[in-house]
Amino acid sequence: MKIKKIYYFLFALVLVVPLGLISSNPAWGEWGDEHYKQTIGFVPKAIENTHTIDAPFSDYTTGFLGDVGSYYFSAVLAIALLFAIFTILHKVIKIEKSKR
Amino acid sequence: MHIADGYLSPLTCAITYGAVLPLWFVAFKKLKQTLDEETLPLIASLSALSFVVMMFNIPIPGGTSGHAIGVGIISILFSPWIGFLSLSLVLFIQAVLFGDGGLSTLAANSLGMGFVGAFGASFVYNLSKKYKFSLFLSGWASAVLASVFIAVILGIQPYLGVDTNSQPLYFPFDLKVTIPAIVGSHILFFGIIEGVFTHFAYKFLLKLEPTFLEGKI
Repeated sequence: MKIKKIYYFLFALVLVVPLGLISSNPAWGEWGDEHYKQTIGFVPKAIENTHTIDAPFSDYTTGFLGDVGSYYFSAVLAIALLFAIFTILHKVIKIEKSKR
Repeated sequence: MHIADGYLSPLTCAITYGAVLPLWFVAFKKLKQTLDEETLPLIASLSALSFVVMMFNIPIPGGTSGHAIGVGIISILFSPWIGFLSLSLVLFIQAVLFGDGGLSTLAANSLGMGFVGAFGASFVYNLSKKYKFSLFLSGWASAVLASVFIAVILGIQPYLGVDTNSQPLYFPFDLKVTIPAIVGSHILFFGIIEGVFTHFAYKFLLKLEPTFLEGKI
């Protein structure tokens, strides 16, 4: 199936994904507490006290790989997970359909 | 454009979840009709592409950065429902594994980048598909419309709660700040990137699998 060539495209894009690390600017609104202190003099309470989940690879870092390695790792992990989820969904849908 | 935990009032989180749950339900029903051996590799690849595209942070003047979303191409190729669901899945992975966005704000982010982005792209595409720049235009519009939604949700937060010192509890900047900053940057930069991406990704797929896209242009 020719469509699988899209995998090469995806692979090529992943190869150059560390380019996304070049910018050290945060996205607008995605700041740390320090930014709020500097710009408005305080950190809004809900932002300061938020109980956010402990993401295992917070900010696309791993702790066991460098910046570039971690970025590759994040991309590959997410792609594998997305394929796994859609494959499982497909299996579930197929079983459901065959029961009807 | 990923709204983090703590940025939105509990009421906003509740209302956005109330709105997004039935939409996810409908989208899943649509996925059931669409997902088969043929479409699975493409839907999964395009979702993966969206995740990867969002990793390319592009700096812009003013000390911030941003990225394309990659939702328009899925909406145009399949349906906005599939684009919306794929994007929601990507946002969920970003929040849970990478701390990008948040779980309390997943509904708002999914409505903005997912629902508004997906339906915006397909609406503009259907209006403009006779013209040469329709793909670019629908990508651009999807990012800009999504940014309007996110800017409004963020910009109303200062009115939704203050602490004992009358300081905002949640996101502190109002619409006068969020609209120019978020929507402006998407009109000028990230929308253009989304448009270019949508155009070239589509043309590329057309070369790979002309029969799949038959009747689409």
